Amino acid sequence: MGDQADHHPYTRSRDARPEAGGGRRGYVPLFGRILLGNLAVLLVACFVIYVVVTPARLSKLATDEALVVTLCLVTLVNLVLVRRVVVPLQQLTLFARRVDPAEPGTRFPGAGERSEAGELALTFNEMLERLEHERAESARSVLAAHEGERLRVAQELHDEVGQTLTAVLLQLSRVHGRLDGELGPVLGEAQDAVRESLEDVRRIATELRPETLAELGLVSALATLSENFSRRTGILVEQDLQTDLPALSEETELAVYRVAQEALTNVARHAESDRTELHLLDGAAQLTLVVRDYGRGLPGSRVDGNGIRGMRERAGAIGGRVWVGAPPEGPGSEVRLEVPLRR
Amino acid sequence: MTSALDSRNAGHTGPPADPGSTRPTRILVVDDHPAVRWGLVQLLEDQRDLEVALVATTAEAAVGQAEGDTIDVAVVDYQLGGRNGLWATRKLRALPAPPRVVIFSAFADHLAANCVVAGAHALLGKSSLGEELCSTIRAVAHGRVLIPRVPSAMVRLLRGRLDQQEQITFGMLLAGIPETEIQRALGVSAEQLMRRRAGILSKLEALPGEAPGDEGNERRERAVSSYPGVERC
Repeated sequence: MGDQADHHPYTRSRDARPEAGGGRRGYVPLFGRILLGNLAVLLVACFVIYVVVTPARLSKLATDEALVVTLCLVTLVNLVLVRRVVVPLQQLTLFARRVDPAEPGTRFPGAGERSEAGELALTFNEMLERLEHERAESARSVLAAHEGERLRVAQELHDEVGQTLTAVLLQLSRVHGRLDGELGPVLGEAQDAVRESLEDVRRIATELRPETLAELGLVSALATLSENFSRRTGILVEQDLQTDLPALSEETELAVYRVAQEALTNVARHAESDRTELHLLDGAAQLTLVVRDYGRGLPGSRVDGNGIRGMRERAGAIGGRVWVGAPPEGPGSEVRLEVPLRR
Repeated sequence: MTSALDSRNAGHTGPPADPGSTRPTRILVVDDHPAVRWGLVQLLEDQRDLEVALVATTAEAAVGQAEGDTIDVAVVDYQLGGRNGLWATRKLRALPAPPRVVIFSAFADHLAANCVVAGAHALLGKSSLGEELCSTIRAVAHGRVLIPRVPSAMVRLLRGRLDQQEQITFGMLLAGIPETEIQRALGVSAEQLMRRRAGILSKLEALPGEAPGDEGNERRERAVSSYPGVERC
């Protein structure tokens, strides 16, 4: 955590826009505009009344009329000036209400106009930027801790439980070889149970920490994941995995893998589908992962569950985005992850 | 598992035990976990035709011990502390009287190609240890090769990591062509082929089990340290 001060978002954005808080606005403030506007109207009125319309011809009626007209003009000028500030403020309020932390990247369009509202919008956008940055950073560190823990548990499972079970299996085999009579089948069952447990340990360790991802890369790991998923759940996975991917960081590979894993788990839990599609597409500027099922689809009013939130966090930590919803056509639901690629 | 085994008799040189002799098959056991090691020794000692001649806990120790002895079959755990079982396999196969090698691992699925390249004769999952291990040792001692067939998609993926010369050698090894024939076909000496095998293996293994401190270890470190919160113990 020691290096956090180096790239603190607050310091960074202040450095990036020194003029924002420095008082150099580049426009006349609202107070000045209203004062100047009123002053101008009053001066013009005075000029008209006392110079154009001469005092000699000034009657009681004309003074009253001039007063009414001037007051109307002053009100109009104030209205126009204030409106130009209030309308963008209302828009900004509406926008602020709609901002969804789960959908980062949305910004208020009217930012940067030379007015109080424009400056407020700019500051608001900057604040969104900082919050999103902070959010992605904290998600990253939480996920890193999470992965570290998974790695530790997987290693421990393999090194401790797996080895002990292996030793037990060897002992049972040895006894089985010496045994004859009716206890043979009983021991055989015990051996089978230990074998199953060994397989479980192996499977759980693999789910916790995919060995194939580090050894064979993302595509192989996704292929292995879908095969194991099909074997375990009986749900067919149609794979469409583009193989010639650009070099991805390990963080990105792991994030894509975890999103696929979570999406498949959701299919098995909720979708009631007997068929899934897993696509991995390498576009010009982004990598796209799509997990699509042909089940009952998503319920209408749905609050994001832990799984979907987890996927969003994974994606956010690598600068990507996740959509969960109905596919463009046909039944079922779709999880789509897009990760921008730096080439 | 047995149905998936691919038997290639002619794949490797090495002295298959004479089936007519009454001499038991001499075995080297290599495993770093005490309970598993003990279980293996006990199980094999119980077999009348098998004899545990040597026991080692690390890859280096196994090679050192086997140098001064005549071993028929080495039973090697893939995951050992330090250098892995495939490293041990390569070194054992380079000995003047090379033993035949049975590798076992908890994650046997994706090791088949690496085992072939390292020169192993059989690959077993950990849940197959037991009677299947004994029968595999006997089959291997009699000259058989029992390594699961490598899926073609995996072969394609792995080939992509090799240069052209290596791809040819890799293909020949996977096809089970005997070493002497590969040497003749490619016009290389036994030693050159051995080096090429080592080169291929280092490219196939993303986390190679070579020496601590060498490139393999750095890559392993990097794989872990890419998660900022993780410290390797």
